[in-house]
Amino acid sequence: MNGTRVGNRIIGADAPVTVGWENIPKVEGGPVKRFVFTWFQPTMLVALVLFWYYAPNSIATASTAIALGIAFKVLLLGLEWVNPRHDSWRLTWKELATDLFYVGIGYTLVNMIESYIGAGAIIGWVQDSFAWEKFAWFMAMPLLLQAVLISFIFDFGQYWMHRGMHNWYPLWLTHAPHHYITQLNINKGAVGNPIELFLIGLGIGGFFDFMPRAFLLAGTLGLTVSIYQHINVRFNTPRWWRFTFNTTEHHSVHHSQDYEASRSNYSGTWIIIDRMFGTCIDGEAELLGMEGGRPMSIRETMTFPFTEGWKSIKARLGRGEPPPEPAAVPAE
Amino acid sequence: MKFPFFDHIWHIRGSVPLAPNQTHDEAYDRLMPLFLKSGTTHERSGDTLTFEKKDQEAQDKMSIFDRGVLQIVDAPGGSFLRYRMASRALLYCFLAPLLFLAFAQLNIQIGEWEKASAAAEAGAEEEDEKETIELPQNVIDKALGAPAPEIDGPGAEDEEEGPSPTPAYVFAGLFVALYLGGRILEDRLIKSLFRKRLHGIGDDKGQNKKDAEGETGSRMLSF
Ligand SMILES: [Zn+2]
Ligand SMILES: [Zn+2]
Repeated sequence: MNGTRVGNRIIGADAPVTVGWENIPKVEGGPVKRFVFTWFQPTMLVALVLFWYYAPNSIATASTAIALGIAFKVLLLGLEWVNPRHDSWRLTWKELATDLFYVGIGYTLVNMIESYIGAGAIIGWVQDSFAWEKFAWFMAMPLLLQAVLISFIFDFGQYWMHRGMHNWYPLWLTHAPHHYITQLNINKGAVGNPIELFLIGLGIGGFFDFMPRAFLLAGTLGLTVSIYQHINVRFNTPRWWRFTFNTTEHHSVHHSQDYEASRSNYSGTWIIIDRMFGTCIDGEAELLGMEGGRPMSIRETMTFPFTEGWKSIKARLGRGEPPPEPAAVPAE
Repeated sequence: MKFPFFDHIWHIRGSVPLAPNQTHDEAYDRLMPLFLKSGTTHERSGDTLTFEKKDQEAQDKMSIFDRGVLQIVDAPGGSFLRYRMASRALLYCFLAPLLFLAFAQLNIQIGEWEKASAAAEAGAEEEDEKETIELPQNVIDKALGAPAPEIDGPGAEDEEEGPSPTPAYVFAGLFVALYLGGRILEDRLIKSLFRKRLHGIGDDKGQNKKDAEGETGSRMLSF
């Protein structure tokens, strides 16, 4: 298979990847449908930002944020049904049930563990007036600027954590199961080994009911932008949006079976971070997964970091068989 | 066979009439594409076909099944296909609410334990006065009418209770609903899939497109 040259890399040599916006299909249908699927994303972003900007303090709480997040996901499930991007990514009962199992683990077990590790410390920090005085200069800035900065700095950290996961074997072991998904759906962001959730800081355990508004606004950017990473919907995303923000197209390239393609688009929200560091590839892929799309069961997802880690430790010590060379091996 | 109800939890069974004058071989030829999917092994002896599936692909139309037996039975009213298939996905989905209820119990236990240790500490600690910390607000935000920020100071928050068990209860309920929906939906889907295959409608050649669409349509009814 011939790939496409992007910079000094060849993308799509092992598995098909469409490179370049001009090669990506557009939403088909009447003017109303095209209008809706062009403006849905920006409209939702503006609406939710306005909500968090003006909501009274009694409503602007983390519980409201969680409730809104769930309602928004249900709406997006509806969109997947109406306008799927690929028929081969159709949600089935089994896929839905499996995805919801991981979501459930995140909301219960992971949340429980996280709250006993981190939440107490964070609450103490937030309630410490001394800490607030230190950050008074930050809070004197316009609220939206604060929110963008928080979101950008957080995503900057995530970018390097994610890139690290793709380059350092011990970290890769926790992230690899997420890359075995073979289709994107709205809940697929939760699919993976739970250890990864701690590392990437996506758990909800850190939430408590008096979040500074700038954090709630920053969280809204996450909800109305990075949630589309794993969505099976065809949008006519506006140019400025896909230049600035991560999209399902970008993230499908990241999940591609093509090795080089998967080493791109690491950010969660701000794809411009990838543009800054030369890891951005504008395009899309339909054929996703690892090892030619081998499905990974829930059991293997849970044990993978340990079993694979043990195998390579044994191999290093020169006992046992050397690990087979699966696609589960990162660059170095 | 002593507990037929038990068996129905994760087994799906049923029967579908063959097309008129269809021979057994013709019928199995029509069904064969379903058993040539990746991860599927099958064996046919006479009227009976047994299959096993492992690592089913997401889009495999029989992805929920792990093994099963199909048999063609001749009857005065016409031959029919009888099937009985097992699904671990259904079984696990049936059991999932128990897991989430266990998480809820664990959560409550830890909460009680935390409360006990917090009460022991509270005796030594003086109640802080409730105070509100003043926070700065940018003039732009004030002009645009955003609510003034405020935050409760130390001591304002009642003793933390830890995470609530509610999400665990919600997911337990959700999986009961998912199970019931899946048990009914997948029963109907597999029946219609076998019928369409045997009668040669909506197959890979794309004839009778309407029916093929009807199939994905009902698949999406799961919401
Ligand atoms: Zn990744
Ligand atoms: Zn992903």
